[in-house]
Amino acid sequence: MRTRLRSVFDRLFTGCTYLVVAMMVAVLLVILIPIFRRGASAIVFRETIEFRRLQFDMNDRGDIEVLKAEEKQVNQFRSKVYKQIEDFKQAVDTAALFDRADEIYRDFNDELRQADIPRTQYLTTRIVNQQIRDHLRAAFEAGDPNQAKESLDSVMEFSEDQRFVGTVAEEFFELAQQFRGTLEQIDLASQRKYLAEVEQVEEIVRRMFGPKPGEPVPSMMRFRYGATRWDMAQRQLRAFLYTEQWVETEPGQPLEKTVALRADLFEGTQLYELFDYVEQNYERFFNPKLTFYWQYFIDDSTSGRYFGGVGPEIIGTLLLTLMSMIVVVPLGVISAAYLVECAGDNMIVRIIRMGINTLAGVPSIVFGLFGMAFFMLFLFPALGMSSRPSILAGSLTLSILTLPVMIRSSEEAIKSVPMGYKEASLALGASEFRTFITVTLPAALPGILTGAILSLSRVAGETAPILFTAAVALGPVPKSIMEPTRALSYGTYDMAVGDRIAMLVPHQQFGMVLTLITLVLLLNALSIILRAHIFKKLQGR
Amino acid sequence: MKRNLVIKLTLVMMILLAFGAGQASAQRLTIDGSTTVGPIADAWAEVFQTMYPDLNITVQKTGSGNGIAALIDGRADVGMSSRFMRPSEFKEAIEKDVYPVAHVVAMDGVCVVLHPSNPVNNLSLDQVRRIYAGQITNWNEVGGPDMSIVVVSRDTSSGTYGSFSDAVMGSDRMSGRVEYVNSNPQAHARVRNTRGAIGYVGVGFLDDQVKPVELDGVAPSNRSIATGRYPIARAQFMFTNGFPKLGSVVHEYVTFYLTELGHELVESAGFVPVTDY
Amino acid sequence: MTTEALNIHEAAAGTDQPLLRTASQDLRGYLFSKAGRLLLLAITSSSVLSVLLIFYFVSREALPFFADYSIRDFLTSTAWYPQHQDQQFGALAIIMGSVYVTVAALLIAVPIGILGAVFLSDITSFRIRGFVKPVIELLAAIPSVAYGFFAILVLAPFLQDKFGFDTGANALNASFILSIMALPTIISVCEDSLSAVGRELREASYGLGATRFETIFKVIIPAGHSGIIAGIVLGMMRAIGETMVVWMASGNATQIPSPWWDLSQSIRTMTATIAGDMGETARGSMHYRSLFAVGVLLLIMTFILNLFSEYFLTRAKKQLGKSR
Repeated sequence: MRTRLRSVFDRLFTGCTYLVVAMMVAVLLVILIPIFRRGASAIVFRETIEFRRLQFDMNDRGDIEVLKAEEKQVNQFRSKVYKQIEDFKQAVDTAALFDRADEIYRDFNDELRQADIPRTQYLTTRIVNQQIRDHLRAAFEAGDPNQAKESLDSVMEFSEDQRFVGTVAEEFFELAQQFRGTLEQIDLASQRKYLAEVEQVEEIVRRMFGPKPGEPVPSMMRFRYGATRWDMAQRQLRAFLYTEQWVETEPGQPLEKTVALRADLFEGTQLYELFDYVEQNYERFFNPKLTFYWQYFIDDSTSGRYFGGVGPEIIGTLLLTLMSMIVVVPLGVISAAYLVECAGDNMIVRIIRMGINTLAGVPSIVFGLFGMAFFMLFLFPALGMSSRPSILAGSLTLSILTLPVMIRSSEEAIKSVPMGYKEASLALGASEFRTFITVTLPAALPGILTGAILSLSRVAGETAPILFTAAVALGPVPKSIMEPTRALSYGTYDMAVGDRIAMLVPHQQFGMVLTLITLVLLLNALSIILRAHIFKKLQGR
Repeated sequence: MKRNLVIKLTLVMMILLAFGAGQASAQRLTIDGSTTVGPIADAWAEVFQTMYPDLNITVQKTGSGNGIAALIDGRADVGMSSRFMRPSEFKEAIEKDVYPVAHVVAMDGVCVVLHPSNPVNNLSLDQVRRIYAGQITNWNEVGGPDMSIVVVSRDTSSGTYGSFSDAVMGSDRMSGRVEYVNSNPQAHARVRNTRGAIGYVGVGFLDDQVKPVELDGVAPSNRSIATGRYPIARAQFMFTNGFPKLGSVVHEYVTFYLTELGHELVESAGFVPVTDY
Repeated sequence: MTTEALNIHEAAAGTDQPLLRTASQDLRGYLFSKAGRLLLLAITSSSVLSVLLIFYFVSREALPFFADYSIRDFLTSTAWYPQHQDQQFGALAIIMGSVYVTVAALLIAVPIGILGAVFLSDITSFRIRGFVKPVIELLAAIPSVAYGFFAILVLAPFLQDKFGFDTGANALNASFILSIMALPTIISVCEDSLSAVGRELREASYGLGATRFETIFKVIIPAGHSGIIAGIVLGMMRAIGETMVVWMASGNATQIPSPWWDLSQSIRTMTATIAGDMGETARGSMHYRSLFAVGVLLLIMTFILNLFSEYFLTRAKKQLGKSR
């Protein structure tokens, strides 16, 4: 019995360990797959005409003639939408109608003044003009549809009058007819509500199509274009077709979200058909096309990262990492050389090793504190440089952070050079220094390179040390090392917790973190390949 | 191989030195401070970048306290703050020969917001205080459903926190259960995503994904904030070192709210403009 | 013939000096070499210098705080109100927050890590090992901010929806991600120490009829226990020192959860406090210095943990060296 129990345990145990490994692989996939999928949509996605317009305006990409032709074609369909909304709005916006009646009145008066008619006729026509206008205004103001109809009838009495045929005053009658039509369709009492609703519809259309042709260009980049991606356009379509309300299902309970058709709000009015029209023709408004937006990696982003790419962030990360490598690689290699070649086993060396180990254990945020307190607030002012965040401060902080890694991997690389090389060189009469430079170092170089790449990937991913010393969320591409910069790591943080705008563009969020992870993983993969290559070289001797 | 490496390293060093040599020859404008005023600064910076393409504009949003500190240290030209400077900050500024001048660029109201599924529509100031102090812990105590209250607050150095604390908490402390977030957008995100949450954001961050409540019967709106009826109305400041020289970029920037475009941008960021176009 | 050879030798050497010269014979060379060594020593001690500078500068900013505020209150009170009218800097809740997530993360990561290390050292073939090791390295290579991104944007809504928590940004979320981050460290150190346990021990145990399970649990792991403890301590250091993940995903509520085992509540760690508050404090203010004080605390804690790990690692080397 005992034997079977033991073997059961044994199998269970083995199974557990396999399970553990499977779990780890699963976790890795669970973390990476959503990021890759959603991040990839920042680069490969269906773009719309708005995107092409944006690319042309911002980066001069695309053919202006083709673009213009496309715009014309798309506007054919869009203009119907605009017209229907405009008509409806005119019908319900009584304040505007009121003003319009006034306008017509004044225009007609001007016409009369120019016309060549006898004075008495002039005066009587003017009086009639005023009467018509007052009737019309009464119609617009009337709360009761019957009163409105009465006033409209009074207006229409003059429609056959010779004095108004062929003049501006005909618009009075058009307006009256239009309004009569509206009266039959909508409830005057809920006019104000219709106005509010149609303004919401206009807002959604603006988000879809961008600013109306003919309107002044908005000053903020974000509002100059409509939906630039097909998935954004889809979202707007959903907002257009459906309304969300939070309603009470049970008293004393949280409200529940209900979805209703927006078209129902306009039931019975001429706007009702708009919704069907939009739904059927939605693709024709945008001309979506699948695209490979590789320029994502070099383009700058607009404010709030609503449009654009991560070019400056990549540049910032590269600058920070390269600068810190310049400092840390020589330091690390020289320290490793000393520890391997010259150091004995005395107190000094033990202290140095303890120092390196302690350095490796310091939390990254404390590095940030140190970088701020030492470099920015002490050293730079003492040297006469500015105490603002800068690439220099950030990269110096990062280089101290990664020093232990560099020293350790360089040490290993130098140690792994076979003693035979060194002995042969010494036997040939070279000094120790010469031996090191001409024999040991070149042999250890691949290993050192591997360590350097590993350090680079670590540095590229660090955020806490650059929080106070170098990173900035919005700023131009740095022109000198004394300026702060954007970076992939800080940008990822900023996008994950930040802006309201960031939540509107999840593809940008995920795109940024995808770029960071890809960069780091590529570097790691490179170092793994290098290491395998070295391993093979050492074996195949 | 070694020679190759040396050549490559030298090239890289030369490139980087060239970088270092090309030091700030262009004009700089650095703005730092409150995340509440941030959207205004961002919008103005965008416009200014098109007006002055060679101008090097940096906007950092690290909080009111740090914005003022950056101004005092000389690290920023404009310090944004959603609260007025404290006496201690003033003293420190004077000691460092910085003479802060306040520019009121907009009016803001601190709005208490709930998740849209929460049926509660108004709360009294006293109720809000007791919620944040931890004395009320369930929504059913204020007429809502049986859900425990998740209390979200701005971190303690934020200007928004300061205004809220002064107007609502008085001398009471917030309970330990309160979750701290670092910016208005974060507070908005927490409330938006958490059913039982209560939080407070600047009026510029209200949208249809969170529900503002009436405080003591007054709903936050342009009118109620501008007239001061809303209990937590406050001015948004941009501080400069001394009054900026007339005609300089700094002057144009901090007085941009006086122009029509600036007014528009303030309004579109959701604030109550101090001008009347 | 020999004279020619000798002549060549002399011609090549240039002088009639021997190859290896003593100090007195080649003073310049000797001095250069000694000076060179000293220079190298100086450069190498830059790492020690950095550590000292870090300790010094961080403490320097923190010292005025300790002078003005009682250390006992700092360490034992949970009242952290740095911006209130009468400021209070009770960091206990924050310290407990760090301890909380670290312990919870280790509770998850240690069993899994040891099992994983056992898997790599004793159970699999080389080929599978070659596949699993890169997976572990990948997990280690992912930047912490990417983990934080995942934690707040993917994991937090998941926790909130599926488990009905009040909030998805809580201690559980942070601990879970921290355990994933500590795992590679634990696995690699433990695996090193388990591999270093000699074959003889294993062979002896199997020879006595023990199953694999019994061998590993009763023989190998006890033999390599110092290395395993070192791995755990190193994992602890990783978890305590992590900033971005806890800042983004732990909720940042300065409280000790009540009841103490309720991980679904938000907590705040030392690292997140520093990262979060620093941007907002006025330079030189008490609040600013209190953050440096928290930094000093972090330094001390990680330094002590470092000493522990060093101790156990050397013990492991000694023990396993003996058994060879």
